Amino acid sequence: MIKVENVTKKYGSFTAVNNIKFDIKEGEIVGFLGKNGAGKTTTMNMITGYIEPTEGRIEIDGYDMNKKPKKAKKQIGYMPEAVPIYNDLTVKEFVDYMADLKGVKRKQKKEEVQRVIEETGLKEVQNTLNRHLSRGYKQRVSMAGALIGNPKVLILDEPTVGLDPQQVKQIRDLIKSLRKDHTVLLSSHILSEVSQICERVMIIDKGKILAIDTPKNLEDKVSDKNILTVTVEDNDNKIDEVVEKITDIKEIKLVNENSDGTKQYAIFAKDNKDIRKEIAENFAKNEITILELKKTEATLEDAFLQLINNYSIDEENNENEEEVIKEMKKKNEEDSIEEGGKN
Amino acid sequence: MLAVLKKELKTYFFTPIGYVFIGLFLEVSSIIFYRYTYYPGILNFSYVFFDSAVILTYIIAILTMNMFAGERKNGTDQLIMTSPKSITGIVLGKFLSAIVVVIATEIFSFVYLAIISHFGTPDLSTLGTTLIGFLLLTMAYISFGELASSITNQPIIAYIITFAFFFASMYITNLSDKFSMISFMGLYEKFVEGIIPVEETIALVTFTIMCIILTIIILQRRKNLK
Repeated sequence: MIKVENVTKKYGSFTAVNNIKFDIKEGEIVGFLGKNGAGKTTTMNMITGYIEPTEGRIEIDGYDMNKKPKKAKKQIGYMPEAVPIYNDLTVKEFVDYMADLKGVKRKQKKEEVQRVIEETGLKEVQNTLNRHLSRGYKQRVSMAGALIGNPKVLILDEPTVGLDPQQVKQIRDLIKSLRKDHTVLLSSHILSEVSQICERVMIIDKGKILAIDTPKNLEDKVSDKNILTVTVEDNDNKIDEVVEKITDIKEIKLVNENSDGTKQYAIFAKDNKDIRKEIAENFAKNEITILELKKTEATLEDAFLQLINNYSIDEENNENEEEVIKEMKKKNEEDSIEEGGKN
Repeated sequence: MLAVLKKELKTYFFTPIGYVFIGLFLEVSSIIFYRYTYYPGILNFSYVFFDSAVILTYIIAILTMNMFAGERKNGTDQLIMTSPKSITGIVLGKFLSAIVVVIATEIFSFVYLAIISHFGTPDLSTLGTTLIGFLLLTMAYISFGELASSITNQPIIAYIITFAFFFASMYITNLSDKFSMISFMGLYEKFVEGIIPVEETIALVTFTIMCIILTIIILQRRKNLK
């Protein structure tokens, strides 16, 4: 439905989007993740025909955006990030104007406008001027503008940003309900949102697409690294000796020395082996008390962070391990700050 | 084009912009009418339109400054530029909506005609050519205002560019009479004499078309630059 082929966008010497390529099938909901300035909005602006790519081709429902812009644009409903709406119009007038712009036939217009207003829950404010609406309502008005004319493709740029939790839930439910007859591409930097709503996730950084996969697969890829976090009480400092005996351990690193004398280590296993049992047995034999032993569970957030930190999943090298340890240390610090706060 | 035209007219009349424009124009032209036509008892009131064209220089940009600069400032240009409407249609829709406001203003000023008719038979042919000239002049003004609005995202800058351009063109004749062919008031002057001059008509129409085409090109180019 949305086909992006080798698209590049340059501003002078700065490359905002660098040779990206993806294909979104009909009925899919795809999340677009990236830091601020990663190229999400630029990509979306190119898909909607607001700006032209420097190189490459974009196809919407088989229509080339460059050659047949009218037909291609007719398939798209776009909700831009800044939620632009006309403040001097009422909600109904705005939706009506959007219907005119989209070329909704006059006979169906009245019905269509009412349908969209009801679907987005704007019925009670339909005669209010847009300027008097709260942020949440404005967001919905913008959404209504995107939905009018029932376009096949919906491009939503950060649809829930700036909303209260209840409104976020309402918008999410609305997006989920669109699944049936729309193809949706939504950008966000709220990861939980993306993993809840989207079937596939696209991660972009510095204008390049780093991964396109289901949220589950992305999480799995990261947890495959097989890192164990171990907190031990090891008064005789025997841990190095013991670890040497376990052949499946690739490396062990000290993460933290706690104030109560216990130590936290990160253990990297060879070849993705589960070595929890071996560790438990060997440590016990040598009188090292294990207080905590856990496999680091990766979330989409980890996947995201690691991908954009150029973490290469296939090649595990020391540099990356150091990064993981740094992250762990940081987490520990945060925890201790929190605890300190509680005390 | 019609969608944009309809919406722009709504904006003009649902906000003070349209009323400010019409109000200012009628206020000044009424003063001129009273002072130079009614008071001396002249039956030719085309000079009302001639003199009130001067006020256009100051206020035409009220109608045009928001056309694209305002949309860009609010980000709503994303809505129109991603709609299936063509850029030409959008530009013409906005252009025509401003023309409609000016025509509405002209219709209001027919009151003067009624007042004069009370005292004698007004010179209708001169009035006719003046109105045609006035319309052509307005088209030129609006098209330039639209162009100015398309090159900036600050309505106030668009206002200043438009105003400065017409202000300069009006007073440039004071430097030398040679400039009268590039002065818009100089072009308009002939119409008030009761004829439709070919050269001047072509000049005004060409200028209008040129500005509209330039606006279209600028908006088209911006897709690449943005």
